[in-house]
Amino acid sequence: MTQTIGPDDVAALCLGSVFLATGGGGDPYVNQLLTEKALRKHGSIQLVMPDALPDDALVVAMGEAGAPMVRMEQLPVGDEPLKALRAYEEATKRTVTHVIPFEIGGGNSVLPLLAAAALGLPVVDGDGMGRALPEAQMMTFPLAGIAPTPALAIDYRDDTVLFNTKDTAAYERQLRALLQVMGGMVLTVEFPMTAADIRAAAVPGTLSLARKLGQLLQSIRGEAEAGLPHIITFFETTLYRGCKQLFAGKVVDFERRTVGGFDVGTAQIDSLNGETARIDIRNEYLAITAGDTPLATVPDLITLIDEESSQPINAERLSFGQRVRVLGIGAPAHFQTDAALEVVGPKALGLPFTYTPIA
Amino acid sequence: MEPIRIGIDVGGTHTDAVAMRGMDVLGAIKTSTTQPISAGILNAVDQVLIEAALEPASIAAVILGTTQFTNAVIERRQLSKVAAIRAGLPSGRDLPPFTDWPDDLVAAVKGAAIPLPGGVTFDGAPLSKLQDADIDAACTQATHYAAAAVSTVFGPLDSADEQRITAALQSVMPPDRIVGSTSIGSMGLLERENAAILNASLLAFAQEVTAAISSSLQDKAFTCPLFLTQNDGTLMDLETAARFPARTFASGPTNSLRGAALLSGVEDAIVIDIGGTTSDVGVLKDGFARQSRMGVDVGGVRTNFRMPDILAIGLGGGSVVSNDGSSLGPHSVGHKLPLEGRVFGGPTLTATDIAVQDGTLNIGAGPSTDICAPAVVETASNKLHSMLDDAIARMCGRDKKPVLLVGGGAILVTRHLSQAAEVICPPHAGVANAVGASIAQAAGEVDQIVPYRDTDRTEAINTAKAQAADQAVRNGAKEDSVTVLDIEETPFSYTENKATRLRVKAVGDLDFARLAP
Repeated sequence: MTQTIGPDDVAALCLGSVFLATGGGGDPYVNQLLTEKALRKHGSIQLVMPDALPDDALVVAMGEAGAPMVRMEQLPVGDEPLKALRAYEEATKRTVTHVIPFEIGGGNSVLPLLAAAALGLPVVDGDGMGRALPEAQMMTFPLAGIAPTPALAIDYRDDTVLFNTKDTAAYERQLRALLQVMGGMVLTVEFPMTAADIRAAAVPGTLSLARKLGQLLQSIRGEAEAGLPHIITFFETTLYRGCKQLFAGKVVDFERRTVGGFDVGTAQIDSLNGETARIDIRNEYLAITAGDTPLATVPDLITLIDEESSQPINAERLSFGQRVRVLGIGAPAHFQTDAALEVVGPKALGLPFTYTPIA
Repeated sequence: MEPIRIGIDVGGTHTDAVAMRGMDVLGAIKTSTTQPISAGILNAVDQVLIEAALEPASIAAVILGTTQFTNAVIERRQLSKVAAIRAGLPSGRDLPPFTDWPDDLVAAVKGAAIPLPGGVTFDGAPLSKLQDADIDAACTQATHYAAAAVSTVFGPLDSADEQRITAALQSVMPPDRIVGSTSIGSMGLLERENAAILNASLLAFAQEVTAAISSSLQDKAFTCPLFLTQNDGTLMDLETAARFPARTFASGPTNSLRGAALLSGVEDAIVIDIGGTTSDVGVLKDGFARQSRMGVDVGGVRTNFRMPDILAIGLGGGSVVSNDGSSLGPHSVGHKLPLEGRVFGGPTLTATDIAVQDGTLNIGAGPSTDICAPAVVETASNKLHSMLDDAIARMCGRDKKPVLLVGGGAILVTRHLSQAAEVICPPHAGVANAVGASIAQAAGEVDQIVPYRDTDRTEAINTAKAQAADQAVRNGAKEDSVTVLDIEETPFSYTENKATRLRVKAVGDLDFARLAP
């Protein structure tokens, strides 16, 4: 069955992406507006599951890297994804047949759709994280041994940089350094992959899953008591294996600051019967602990939903006094090997915990 | 003897006035709002002077709070067409001014969207070059409209291009119809631009309203200064209000919170302002309104005004009650309550009817079993109090706080609220907004970019504090009452000189001795 994404799907896709972004990924508002506009102009785009990719496919991952604060002021032009893809093809003398988001999170889930719509390309139904995480080496693509380059970054002046690095760590370092002189935010085209690469490395089906999740969240808008069972049922049959409530309560303390280009902080939540939980935040919600006991940590997904509306809450929207449910969702299997946990586990993100899968 | 001041609240339905000496309410009255509002204001002032047996010459200041400008946006009336100029191309090319506005508001406000090159990047480098010819063309286009709003990318970091465009516009249209967006909002281009456009579209109305208020009060032999209250509970003079009507958007809830604090003497509490259709639940901390973290929608448009953190629920005196009493609101008979409510002989079962039965209140015809069955009263009253309890729990921190009830609908609370440490309904609760207006403070603000690499942070903050305090005194504050209300630091990530936006706000009580006629 062929799935398509049309302009009326974008809001649901963005909402589902905010849920899977586990507090990070930023506000998808601007990219949602642009994508709706593009799909109205160019028509719906086709979603292709990794299994259905033609063997001679050339897939590239796309998304934005940089400081989210820059996007508050310096809006995208609107056609960066299209220009980036064209520049990439010209520089590498290769023809891209499909695109894939490098993460499901905030506005990055829909960015490849902007290029795909304009060029009439299909989009791979999947991504390189199954969630949002802060750095390039945390993607499933490098974890499967795929090289990030040749990669291309385009900035607000349409200036482009082509990368050829030996590994993803060097690519991430070069990209971060260049952000300083490229306006603080760039769009990247990276990880050129074959159909076999995608089948081995991508987290499959996450775009259609995010849309379906978003539609569910729209339909259960209202008290979490009624909405949560639907969310739990939804995740049972997904690659995330399940979703459960870890904690429920009220935000009684919230502290956050910007350190080294990340939003770092903690939130404290008290339950009605006097228990306390603490959430560690670095762009994303990374861990929740009650006393000294971790209830869940990365790479499992920790998502907060609002008690009144059952809607997911971005870390920057979390506020004092808000009543929330903290949900834990299993990490994709890609992240559960020992090698992967060295890169995306709690210790890799500076937390003194050992990862115990919740599902 | 402490000087006397008059606080006025001009709402959609009622215009209330109080005469205050220090913390004492000398007189309080409720009248109807008129269109234009100046006649109603004059009437309210007349009545409160009579009530308190005062002469106009004895009044040291008149302070007005009004929702007129908010209502104008919500109801899409009294708005003029705006030329929205934004410098920053190619950034934002596909998201021009007025993007994602409701169609009816676009029809009322949009003159032209004029994108230009210009602006800077996050580290202050030029984004693109703004040529004089670009500015000239924009000016020519803008002259077709009543007002103009100017925004540039990263304007809060570097407003040079905003100033260039504004200066050029001043030579082709009246300076008082031009709004530079950095004068009205901070980081967040779309939200700041939206706020500037809304403000620009209200300028003609604001000038008309402030001129009418000023001249009608002068006719009444008032020589004292006149002020309007702003979103944060501080004052601005009429001249400033005529330029920044958008700064009054949230003054209603702010004044009700501040008024509740004064009337009750409690400074840390939950305040519930119950009106005819909705209840606004807010939080008082140290006598001031707790502010929301996020910007708020005004008339369907995203803005980044910092406003009191208010939870509005659809429950008021006119809320319609279902036959079995299991649900109340959000539908309300509103200002038709005296015709529609059953205690007034009308056909509709309202929240007021339930309160009259449950609390044996002497309102309308008073309690009577003809109005509805006791079981319905029981169910509806339980529901009403649990709706308020839920709202309190949502706004409250870890510990229970006192709950202050204000507004005309405060009588709805006939039982204990389980989420409240105690429930207090202060005297004059019905005119808390006007009382809140009367105690608005004078403010001074400093807003600057400081390179923390080159300037010591503590020293920079202390300097800014002193400058803000001086500014507050210049704006009418009593020197010994000035305190620093807020320090906000926004670091610009990745900048080599650690540039940080530093905003300091100082406030103080009005020095009536200096203002007195």
